[in-house]
Amino acid sequence: MSYAIETYNLTKIYKSEGKTVVAVDHLNLNVEKGLVFGLLGPNGAGKTTLIMMLTGLTLPTSGSGKVLGYDIVKESLQIRKKVGLLPDPFGFYDHLTAEQNLEYIAALNDVPKAERKKRVEDVLTAVGLYEVKDRKVRGFSRGMKQRLGIAQALIKDPELLIFDEPTAGLDPEGARAFREQVGRLSKEGKTIMLSTHLLFEVGPLCNYIAVINRGKLIVQGRVRELIEKMMVEEGYRIRVKATGDVQTLIANIAQLNEVSEVKREGDTILIKASRDVRSDVNKIALSLGLEISTLQVEEPTLEDLFMKYYRRDEVAEHA
Amino acid sequence: MPSMFTVALKEFSDVVKGRRFIVLVIVFGLLLTVAIASVYLTVMQSINIPGIAMPRGFLGRAAYTLVTMMSYFAPIIGLALGFDAMSGEKEKGTLKIVLAQPVYRDTVINGKFLAALLATSLAILVASIANIGGAAFVLGVTPTGEEVARLVLFIAFSILFAMTYYSIAVLLSTISKRTTQSMIIGVVLWAIFTFVIPIIASLVAFTARPIRIGQNIQNMTREEMQRLMEEMRSRIAITEAINSFTPNYHFSRIAQYILNIYTGIAIGSRTSAEVRSISIMEGLTSAWPNILVLVLITAIAFIASYMIFMRQEIR
Ligand SMILES: Nc1ncnc2c1ncn2[C@@H]1O[C@H](COP(=O)(O)OP(=O)(O)O)[C@@H](O)[C@H]1O
Ligand SMILES: [Mg+2]
Repeated sequence: MSYAIETYNLTKIYKSEGKTVVAVDHLNLNVEKGLVFGLLGPNGAGKTTLIMMLTGLTLPTSGSGKVLGYDIVKESLQIRKKVGLLPDPFGFYDHLTAEQNLEYIAALNDVPKAERKKRVEDVLTAVGLYEVKDRKVRGFSRGMKQRLGIAQALIKDPELLIFDEPTAGLDPEGARAFREQVGRLSKEGKTIMLSTHLLFEVGPLCNYIAVINRGKLIVQGRVRELIEKMMVEEGYRIRVKATGDVQTLIANIAQLNEVSEVKREGDTILIKASRDVRSDVNKIALSLGLEISTLQVEEPTLEDLFMKYYRRDEVAEHA
Repeated sequence: MPSMFTVALKEFSDVVKGRRFIVLVIVFGLLLTVAIASVYLTVMQSINIPGIAMPRGFLGRAAYTLVTMMSYFAPIIGLALGFDAMSGEKEKGTLKIVLAQPVYRDTVINGKFLAALLATSLAILVASIANIGGAAFVLGVTPTGEEVARLVLFIAFSILFAMTYYSIAVLLSTISKRTTQSMIIGVVLWAIFTFVIPIIASLVAFTARPIRIGQNIQNMTREEMQRLMEEMRSRIAITEAINSFTPNYHFSRIAQYILNIYTGIAIGSRTSAEVRSISIMEGLTSAWPNILVLVLITAIAFIASYMIFMRQEIR
């Protein structure tokens, strides 16, 4: 299996001014190539520290890791050749234009001089900044700087893109543009890692997530699998809309062994069950001669998932 | 290696096109005008006083101004280029963007040092040529071949002196949390080296070796004369010992030896054998401990910055 990111008991302890902070605590991650990977966790969870270790910007205290197969300590230069990073926080040289900033980045990536101009123009076009390429970065808005940050990460034509808090401070329009950008990049076959405490803005893009808190991994996995697992653990929620003798229908559904709760909410029936009981409901309705217009499983959202694991961690912390 | 030149090139063009550099060059240009005018006035006055011998040659007349100017300009240029070298990039977040590229950390700091070396060389070369040219014009005396050789050496050591201050400033910038902090410490340190220590040195020497001239020098016996000379010498020795803690002292020593002049704190400090005109080689030989001190301070400050920066956590 070729992983984009793998870590083994990766740990970072900061010691400053007599205080010791375990920012990342024995973290084990396995993220396959080609995914959109969301690293989720509240502020101070250790997301930025993890990213800095993955890209060689800081050294681990213990444990190890590989990015695109390269060791994060010994081969970090190789990693930085192939990984585009949008750090958090970051800044550009504001006395230089957008184009000049990127030309410098291109030079640092050993892009041959003859190709530099074209490469820079291409990435500026990709993020929609071509029109303002000759403007000094000093006058750029937060959103424009953010897009330039993405352009900078694209210059090296990376295999893996790591975006740290990519939508922080963006307006809704900017956040939407970012999501579209990520969609395009993912289609091009790039692996993408998004680190955020703003679940709603980037969460829906991810097909793989890891939730961390206080440096510890709480859960990781494919979003699909995690959601299925959650439905098994927490029960299925099924929504039914029927016309006719709804009361009898409810009474009959309640007889099913796996059903723990049935209730009526306006014109819908909500069922909680430990199994997907849709076919049983369908049979009952048929036998009663009722017509069903809606019969669907309500999937937990990413937020439900996040809250579940996050809460569990909170509870464990206080136990 | 190629990346180091990439960094150096970018830094150099930033510095040379930057406002700070231009302002410094202009301020120095104004100071220069004042200095040249004062050279002119001094020469004019000397000419009008009967019986006063004119100092010999171009250097005899212009060197003092040149050294004084440089002893202010070089440290300021060094500080101005170095105080925000690291902290500025940390504050702006540009360091993170640069270090996210396939470069090692030492590439960044080495590239900056190289760029500063080029920029200070340029500034000092331009300043010196303007100064020398101006003085030659005002005095109506052109330097001889030997004097030109001395001036070239002087310019080289001025660059070294500026780089000493640059390295100190980079060290401050590396350890400081904020640029304002590194700037304040830099300026305070400069003031201490330039004004405070020399004043303390004179005060200490004066207190430790009070010279009592109770009687007219003409009435002194030979022994009393000799004792007075001894006291003067030991007083100067104390002053120099204290001043030798500043880079500025070493620079002025080098300048005096190379340019073959005796000014300021060096007056009367040496045996009569040294007061005669010394050749360039003799000058270099005498100045070499001072040269070594400047090289060492520069190297130590730079290596310390380098080592700290290599392990530093950047946020
Ligand atoms: N350079 C540092 N020195 C000391 N503590 C740090 C440093 N960087 C981060 N931390 C601490 O490590 C923890 C994790 O921080 P961070 O990785 O920035 O979390 P996140 O990105 O998830 O918000 C926090 O408690 C933070 O205060
Ligand atoms: Mg963070």
